Amino acid sequence: MSHKLSMQLRVASIALGSALLVAAALAMASPARAAYVAQPPTADKPTNEYCLSCHSKQGMVKELPSGETLSLTIDQEKFDHSVHNEEKLACVDCHTNITSFPHPSFEANTVRDVSLQLYQSCQNCHAEQYNKVLDSVHQKALAGGNFNAAVCTDCHNPHQQTRLTDKQTGKLLPDARLKIPQTCARCHSTIYDTYKGSVHGAALVESGNQDVPTCIDCHGVHNIQNPTDAAFRNDIPQLCAKCHTDPQIMGKYGISTNVLNTYVSDFHGTTVTLFQQVSPGTPTNKPVCTDCHGVHDISKVDNPATGIAIKQNLLPKCQRCHPTVTTDNFTDAWMSHYVASPTHFPLVYYVNMFYKFFIPAVIGGMLLFVIVDVYGRIRRSRKGAQH
Amino acid sequence: MTENTSTPARELISDAPPPEYTRFTLSDRLQHIVMLVSFITLAITGLAQKYALSPISLSIIQFWGGVEKVRATHHTAAIVLMLIAVYHVINLGYKLFVLRKPMTMLPSLQDARDALTAFAYNLGLRKTGAQMGRYTFEEKAEYWALVWGILIMGVTGFIMWNPIATVRFLPGQFIPAAKVAHGAEAVLAVLAIIVWHMYGVHLRKFNKSMWTGKLTEQEMLHEHPLELADIKAGMAGSPTDPAALRRRRLIYYPIAALLGGAMLFAVYGFVNGEQTAITTVPPQPNAVAIFVPYTPTPLPPTPTPIPPTPTVPPSPTAELASGTTASTSAAPAVTWAQVGPIFAAKCAMCHGPALATNGLNLSTYADAMKGAQDGPVIVPSDSANSKLFQIQSKGGHPGQLSADELAIIKAWIDSGAVER
Repeated sequence: MSHKLSMQLRVASIALGSALLVAAALAMASPARAAYVAQPPTADKPTNEYCLSCHSKQGMVKELPSGETLSLTIDQEKFDHSVHNEEKLACVDCHTNITSFPHPSFEANTVRDVSLQLYQSCQNCHAEQYNKVLDSVHQKALAGGNFNAAVCTDCHNPHQQTRLTDKQTGKLLPDARLKIPQTCARCHSTIYDTYKGSVHGAALVESGNQDVPTCIDCHGVHNIQNPTDAAFRNDIPQLCAKCHTDPQIMGKYGISTNVLNTYVSDFHGTTVTLFQQVSPGTPTNKPVCTDCHGVHDISKVDNPATGIAIKQNLLPKCQRCHPTVTTDNFTDAWMSHYVASPTHFPLVYYVNMFYKFFIPAVIGGMLLFVIVDVYGRIRRSRKGAQH
Repeated sequence: MTENTSTPARELISDAPPPEYTRFTLSDRLQHIVMLVSFITLAITGLAQKYALSPISLSIIQFWGGVEKVRATHHTAAIVLMLIAVYHVINLGYKLFVLRKPMTMLPSLQDARDALTAFAYNLGLRKTGAQMGRYTFEEKAEYWALVWGILIMGVTGFIMWNPIATVRFLPGQFIPAAKVAHGAEAVLAVLAIIVWHMYGVHLRKFNKSMWTGKLTEQEMLHEHPLELADIKAGMAGSPTDPAALRRRRLIYYPIAALLGGAMLFAVYGFVNGEQTAITTVPPQPNAVAIFVPYTPTPLPPTPTPIPPTPTVPPSPTAELASGTTASTSAAPAVTWAQVGPIFAAKCAMCHGPALATNGLNLSTYADAMKGAQDGPVIVPSDSANSKLFQIQSKGGHPGQLSADELAIIKAWIDSGAVER
C-alpha cells in the first residue's frame, strides 16, 4: 500500500514541477519564432517523465502483425537534447490519442504504417512546412501508393531532432547544414555517394565548407519538386546562378561571375531562358548547366579526367545532342563562357569590333545625307516663297 | 492607274491624258512585294531573337507561340528570300542577255559625283542639283546594300544553320562569329531601311511607282531627267528584232534552267544539309537510382523477443480427455502454459527480460516465481496474498489485465501456480 501511495506522490510532484517549468518557459519564450508553444500539462495529461519512466528503458519493443519489431524505446539522452524537449513539448502533444496507461489499442501492420499514421500530427505545430510538403514530389509519390516516400519523421526524427535554424534569424545553423546530405542519403544513398565525390560535396563533407550547395539548395526543402520536370530543368541556369553570379562567394574561389551572362547570350542559353520565361512547363532540347557540367557529379572544369575545359572531355557532352559531330573543332562553336577578346575567340571579337564601327559609319553617313537633303529642301522652299 | 495624273503640272497639260512611263514591270513589283514580306518577317523574328530578353521581344515570342516557332518562321522567311533572290538572278540574266537592256544599276564614278553634287546643292554651294538617269545614286546605294546584306546573311545564316558542316572546313569559332555578324548585319539592314528607304521613297515624297509601276512625266523630269531625255530621244527600249530575240531565248533558257537548278539545289542543301541536333526533348540525364535506402539500423538486441515461448495451451478437448482418463485430483486445471502467454502479452513490455521493472521478470516460470527485488509476487495457492494479484485486482496498473485474464491468474495461483 505504502509503495503505491509513494508512487502517486512522485507522479504528482513531477507533474507539478513540470507545470511550473513550462509556465516559466512560456513566460520567457519569444512566441514570434516558436513553431508552437507547449500547453502546460493538466491533471489528465501525463508528463514526459511519466511516459519516459517506461519508454526510456532499453529493449522496449512491440511485435507487429507483419513480423517486424517496433522499438518503443526513446533515447533519453538524445531526447533531452532535442529541440522538442528544449521547447518543452509533451509526448502527448504529438501522441494525442494517448492520455494514460493502458494505451488505446494501436492498429498498424508494419513499422512504416506507424510512421505514416503518426507524422500527421506534425501539422498541428508545423502547418507551414506540412502544407509545403503537400506540394512535394514525396507526397505525390506517397499519394501514388509509394509508401517509401519520405514523410516528416523520416528526415526529422521527432525524438532526436536538434534545432535546425537560428531562433532569432531563422537561418540554417552551420552544423545543421553539414548534416543535410546525410539526411537525404538515408533514402538516396547512391546519389549521396556521387555527391560526395563532386566538387561541391567533397568541400562540404571533407572540409565543412558552408558556401557549397547541399541537397536543399538546389532541390528545395519541404516542397521538393520533381527534378526531371521541364519547369525544374528550364530553371536550372537561374538556380546555379544564385551562387555563381554572387561575387562575394565566387571571389573566394576565383570563379567567374560571367557564367550566366555568357550562357544566356549563347544560342543554347537564350533558348532555355526564353522557355523559362515564356513557357516554363514546356521541355526544350537545348542544354542547361547540368547537361555539360553534370548533376551530382559536378567536377572542376580543369580536372584532367572529367573537366570540360579540356576539349576531349567536352566533345562527348556535345555529342549527346549532336551525335554526328566528329571533330573537337566543334566545341569552339560554344565559347566556353568566355567573352570574346583578342586572346579568346579573336574572330568573334574582331567581327564584333568591325560592326561597332561599320554600323555607325554607314547609318551616320545616311543620316547626314538625309539631314542635308531636308535642310536643302527647307532652304529652297523658303527661297521659293520669298520670290 | 490614272488617278496619279489627276493633278498634272500646268505646263504639261494637253488634251491627251498626260503621258506615263513604265518604271517597274509586274515581275519587278512582285519581287518587291515578296522581298518586303520576307524582309519584315525576318527582321521581326530575327531581332526578337537577337534582343531575346527585352520586354518587346518576349511579348513577340509569346505571341508567336514560343521561340521554336519564331525560328521556324524565320527559317521559312529565309527560304522565301533565297528563292526570290534566285528568281532575281535568272530574271536579271534574261533582261541583260535576251533583252539586251543596259546595266543601269552598275555603280560608277558618276554616282559619286552625283552624290557630291546633291550634297553641295542641298547646302547651297551649287545652283543646280544632280541630273540623274534611270537609277539615282540613292537607289543604287540601296540596291547594292541589299545585295551585300543578302550575301552576308546567306553565308552567316548557312554557318548557323549548318554548324557541323561548317566545322569540317573552318574553325569552330566561325559559328559564334557568324552569329555576331548575322545579328549586326540585321541591325544595319533594318536601320538602313528606316533611314534611307523610308526617307527616300516615303517621307521625302511618297513614291508609289513600286506599286503602280508608273511615273508621270513630271516625276520623271524631277527624278530621272536623263532617262526621260533618253526615252524622248528614242534611245531607251529600242525595239529588238524578233528573230534575234528568239535566238537569244533559245540560248538563254537552257543556261537559265541549269543555273536556276544549281541555285535551287544549293538552297535545298542549305536548308536540308544536316540534322544538327537530335530531336529528343530534352537530352536525357544519366539514369540514377532514386530510392536506395541505407540498410536500416538494426534495433538494439533484445534478449528474448515477445512472445518468449510460443507455448500452445493444451486444447480443451485434450484436457477433457486427460481429466476423464486420469484421476480427477491430479493434473491441475491451470498451468504456466495458460498464464505465460497472458504475461507475455500484457506485462512483458515492462516486466520482460530487458526491462524487468522493479526486478520483476515474468517471461519465464522460474523468473516469475523468483519475484521482484523486494520479494516474491506470487504465493502459490494463496492469490489473496500474492502481490501480483493484489495490484492487478485494484485496477489502473499499466498493462491492466481483463477480468477474464485475472480470473485465469487467480485460478492458476490458487491451484498451486504450477509450471505444468
